[in-house]
Amino acid sequence: MTSTPRTPTPESVTRPIELGFALVDERELAAFARHDRLTRDDYLDQLGEARDCVTLPEDAEPTHFFLGSEFCEHLLPSVESVDRAVVLCERWGLTFGLVTPIACDGLFDPLRAALARLPAGSEVTINDWGVARLVQREFPALRPVAGRLLGKMLKDPRLPSATWARMYPNGLRAGPFRDILDGLGIGRLELDFPPFGAADMYAGIDFPIGVRAPYGYIAKGRICKLGSLSLDTPEKFSPGHQCRRECLGFNEVGARPGTHELPTSQRGNTMYYRHAKGMATAVAEAVNNGWVSRIVLSGA
Amino acid sequence: MKITAPISTPAEVEPLVRAGARELYCGVVPPDWIQRFNTSGVNRRVFGNLNGYADLERVVDKATALDAEVFLVLNAQQYGEQHLDALTEIGARFRSIGGKAAIVADISLIASLAANVPDLDIHVSSVATCRNVESARFFAALGANRIILPRDVTVAEIGTITQALPELDVEAFVLNDGCVFEEGTCHTVHLPMNKGGPICIDNYQFEYRTTERATGGGKPQERALRRLEQNDLDYKRWLWYRFGNGFSVASNGYPWGPCGLCAMPATHAAGVHSVKIAGREGASERKIKSVELVARVLERIQAGEPEHRVREFAVGLRDAPSHCASGYMCYYPEVRSRQTTGDAEGKLLTAV
Repeated sequence: MTSTPRTPTPESVTRPIELGFALVDERELAAFARHDRLTRDDYLDQLGEARDCVTLPEDAEPTHFFLGSEFCEHLLPSVESVDRAVVLCERWGLTFGLVTPIACDGLFDPLRAALARLPAGSEVTINDWGVARLVQREFPALRPVAGRLLGKMLKDPRLPSATWARMYPNGLRAGPFRDILDGLGIGRLELDFPPFGAADMYAGIDFPIGVRAPYGYIAKGRICKLGSLSLDTPEKFSPGHQCRRECLGFNEVGARPGTHELPTSQRGNTMYYRHAKGMATAVAEAVNNGWVSRIVLSGA
Repeated sequence: MKITAPISTPAEVEPLVRAGARELYCGVVPPDWIQRFNTSGVNRRVFGNLNGYADLERVVDKATALDAEVFLVLNAQQYGEQHLDALTEIGARFRSIGGKAAIVADISLIASLAANVPDLDIHVSSVATCRNVESARFFAALGANRIILPRDVTVAEIGTITQALPELDVEAFVLNDGCVFEEGTCHTVHLPMNKGGPICIDNYQFEYRTTERATGGGKPQERALRRLEQNDLDYKRWLWYRFGNGFSVASNGYPWGPCGLCAMPATHAAGVHSVKIAGREGASERKIKSVELVARVLERIQAGEPEHRVREFAVGLRDAPSHCASGYMCYYPEVRSRQTTGDAEGKLLTAV
């Protein structure tokens, strides 16, 4: 029921490491457009004080730029923004990637319109099996990447100990998982670094691995408290309504009283934890060992 | 449209089927599982499972005698590769004693069951977050016979899937437990309540910040903060409904909590094959009352009563239509009855 692991692809041990930045708010493209080229510091500056929670290899310089949301249907960028990002990436000499969420059927036409603007070789971060089928069938020149919503693993920052985490192993090395991704033409996985994780958690996965840093996501809903700010019943706290993208203006930060857990935040429909320095060190170790070939910086 | 109900003991089979359930689902922890894998996590729930294979066989025998079908939950969000063979063996054993289907979320396990136990139906769990036509086609290609939709979908979205894929059964939630996050993208465990419980009702103390990157975010302006805080109060009220109206029951014994009763005419018209009652871990009385509640509405639909009459009936079943009027207790709020009374009672009950 499991099949033989493959030899790692050359891409998975390519050096230097690939470095991406993932932008959710399309309005911020204007600020990026002021740059003639992008450096690692430009990327790190986007993280504010959280840049201290990232450890990058000395030679890491930007190779990729992503636009879009993994978590929300309402944050799919407009085709105009996609066009602008593609042009900017050509100027910067970076590979562009469109990030896509779990989709309802109503999102497929806007998705098609956005995907149709991408040049061949662009990446699509996919978090929905239906979207994976769409890309494979209708946009074969694009390069699908399995997003972190498809790479299931326990990421509960409240767990009392590593023992709890070990009770819920992930299935990223399972033969059928690999075969299914192969069948969909997916050649890369993007993952989080979980609480109580270790550098070698990425070893032996038969795909090139990218890690999101310095925030991991804990949970994502379809009901959005903040997105309901301007709504009344029956739309308030319900699926399928429009919102005013309030999450682009506000977030919530905090913790459980009396604990020393990872800093936690909620932005829109998603809860995040921020990496501790030890987690950044572990990701760097995974990079040094060739288990991780890309870091994608993103906010919460 | 059939009623799909949870069970956790063989004794629940007969009363639930008599109450109107034609489909039952259950979990089991085989006796050697904990020893082999150092976890009780055979499925999504640690509690509410049958004690072992003997109980599972009793459940299947009793249900079969009453012309009901039994489904086995193997619906953890993910399994380690070391679990797949053992889980596939459980599926094969379940089929051999007359079980009908496995409820599965992990794509590797779906593929393994389809390849190795081909006569066991596969129901894609709500934990798989399958909520579009293409995704349903993906799971059908893996071998799925049924899609159990996640909680937060609209009836229109359901109809899109049923119309596009009439060969695939679709199951939708109708009563009880209500996660806040999508089950397939909530990577937490329900901790014991003394350690925090489910993360969505844990005691996080958040404060709002603006999101300017340059400044690291500051406090929102006073007017915005007031609106955000009012929204938080509304959300707290919605949470109260989401978690069974404070984990309570109506005065006539019917369960509170997320509900799609008045939407049943719409889900029926949309082509839903089965409506799901959640809550394997609940008490037997709660399960029986839940099935009774759904069955009473289903009888009216099957008798051909006009939709508005069925909806009025559904809203009146628990003797407190103000909860329905709040709009916060609904799985499908877009079709809730607008003819119910005012919201004063609901506001009062959730004010504390």
